[in-house]
Amino acid sequence: MTVFNATRRRFLVGTGAVGAGALLSGCVTQTPSTSGGKSGGPVTLQSNLSSPQAKTAMQAVVAAYDKRGDARAQLNTVASETFRTQLPTYLTSANPPDAYTWYPGSVAESYAKKDLLLGLDDIWEKPELAGYSDALKKLCTSASSGKKVFVPTSYYWWGVFYRKSNFAKWGVKEPKTWDEFLDLCDKLKSKGVAPIGLGAGGDTPWVASTWFDYLNIRVNGAKYHRELLAGKHRFDDPEVRKVFDKWDEARPFFDPNGTAIPFQDATTALLQGRTGMMLIGTFFADAAPKDALGDLDFFQFPIIDPKVPVAEEAPTDGYFASARTKRVDGVKELLRYLASAEAQELYLRNSSGTALPTHPDAKDAGTPLVLKGRKLIESATDVTQFFNRDSSDALQPTADTALVHYLAKPKEIGSILTTWQRSAQKIWSQ
Amino acid sequence: MALLGSTRRSRATRVPPVVLAFVLVPLLAEAFWVFWPALQGFYLSLTSWDGLSAPKFVGLGNFSEMVHDEVFRTAAINTVLWLLLFGGLSAALGLGAALLLQQERRGIGFYRAALFLPVVFSLVATALVWQAMYQPDGLINNVLQAIGLGGWKHAWLADQDTAFYAVIVPALWRQVGYVMVLYLAGLKGIDPVLYEAAKVDGATRLQQFRHITLPQLRSVNAVVLSVIVIDSLRSFDVVWALTRGGPYHSSELLSTYMYSTAFQSLRLGYGSALAVVIFVLAFGVIASYLVRAFREADS
Repeated sequence: MTVFNATRRRFLVGTGAVGAGALLSGCVTQTPSTSGGKSGGPVTLQSNLSSPQAKTAMQAVVAAYDKRGDARAQLNTVASETFRTQLPTYLTSANPPDAYTWYPGSVAESYAKKDLLLGLDDIWEKPELAGYSDALKKLCTSASSGKKVFVPTSYYWWGVFYRKSNFAKWGVKEPKTWDEFLDLCDKLKSKGVAPIGLGAGGDTPWVASTWFDYLNIRVNGAKYHRELLAGKHRFDDPEVRKVFDKWDEARPFFDPNGTAIPFQDATTALLQGRTGMMLIGTFFADAAPKDALGDLDFFQFPIIDPKVPVAEEAPTDGYFASARTKRVDGVKELLRYLASAEAQELYLRNSSGTALPTHPDAKDAGTPLVLKGRKLIESATDVTQFFNRDSSDALQPTADTALVHYLAKPKEIGSILTTWQRSAQKIWSQ
Repeated sequence: MALLGSTRRSRATRVPPVVLAFVLVPLLAEAFWVFWPALQGFYLSLTSWDGLSAPKFVGLGNFSEMVHDEVFRTAAINTVLWLLLFGGLSAALGLGAALLLQQERRGIGFYRAALFLPVVFSLVATALVWQAMYQPDGLINNVLQAIGLGGWKHAWLADQDTAFYAVIVPALWRQVGYVMVLYLAGLKGIDPVLYEAAKVDGATRLQQFRHITLPQLRSVNAVVLSVIVIDSLRSFDVVWALTRGGPYHSSELLSTYMYSTAFQSLRLGYGSALAVVIFVLAFGVIASYLVRAFREADS
């Protein structure tokens, strides 16, 4: 009995001491560790590009990199939503994946500020990246450290997409102004078609944010939009209310199923002619059959106030690397390759080809659609990224809830905006 | 004599090292994988943490925020409603199915297997199948249209008035078969002589059910109740796969709110505080049930 008692007591005291000690030292704060992990082996590339065409294109790029002989990479494709929620864990773990697909700008900055991203200044001096535009250089530089932390490889545009054959069948044309746009909606509705598809249901409620983004940059301008998303204005300000006043004019033309189906299903509805058009990024084409691509066209989001400088949403995609990687040289080698014209063209050839490469010498797909998209971005006075990329991943769910709520109960917009501000405040004050 | 007594006692109570190892090793593993993270969770609930920086100690700040948090209130009410509806209906329907399928008849095995089949599927797979059925142009709306009830067509998961109930259905669909099997086992254990005696006394079927079946099922009821309570409080997968607690929190449970707060809004401190609340609730319900069960057993 004595023996057992002593053992049990000692064990309990021991466990308690270990527990209390770790608690006091705040071990849950996962202090940075430099131990563990292997410096050999292939560089791990964590990718969120999980739609079939994009995944195939990534596999082709990595295979081409491996084929060069001296270095190897291992591609891990993770579903986008899982990737997003796991990213902080990846980056703060002691033995993280080495490189990641993700976004530059404020999203990368939130990690760079905490010293979680690898400084990439030296590879920006190399030929693969030296010719990149100044705008891209600025976008990929951390405001807090002044170091470049991101390698951009492609960008894409958002536009109001439609099927050329359907517009011809319905006898309608692309609108330029807001009034022409509303007229077009009227005509489509009279033909028994839901004029505006959305796709903010299922696991893609974030699609609704682009309506907010575009209306805000058309009504209040890109500068105000960025400031709002950075917490310098309030979501219950009269300026934001004006955005929803405009949205109210278009809302009756939205597909009633818009908040019930994800954007992939909304794409099907668009291709089948059940909806007339859809404000979406070119990535949606990765979910479309290749034979439909030639029939797709788009127009610029209509101008609402001609006095407001025209801005467009053109999110840039690319890669960053973990500051805790054990394979610094290997990661930089891989990122240099991904930045090259060869790798970017390879990616575009194997995906839907609707994105634009960042390398000045890389050829895009050259289709009329892509040429029109390039012109749209190049003629814009200002370029925004997207709601979460101009704000933060943490703020995105607040927008999802507010906007889906608005679409179902537009009359409650006053309380919706107050609640949105309250939720956003909690994120900003963290 | 005294010496002999003490030797005997120590021989009788000394635990062999092997047994001790069998107890201590799992306990250590449990301590590391279960108790330790739980303790960390308690600590995190007292902090404000974004998952990247070091947590800031805020005392009971997260809990006082909860008092004014409308979403928390909705989630808590929904969780109680879920417990009552999911729990109550799965017990009632499970018992009903068991009574219906208890007698050995030709082909009865097929019906039993069919009802039990949903238990075999993972809940996420179940949810995906139901998601397809609930789609605006999915099976349910098509059937309604075909039988002339087109006016009832609905975006079941996208409407805040129907989402919560639409999510309960797949959960129930899965649970009923499980509860049915428990009750079938219970019904098999009842002595048929009791029914024969009741029939001789002229008892109706309802009287037989009330005075024989129900009291005889008391021990099964205890198992069913604990299974249901535990399953209700840990319900997460089906709601997350179907609605993610939406639209605008109408189908939010405490578990989904905890997940979205912690891993989507990256407010891990507040998410941990919600986890603590769920723990306290689960512990409270189960402990109060156990106390009652013991009291009944004593009496």
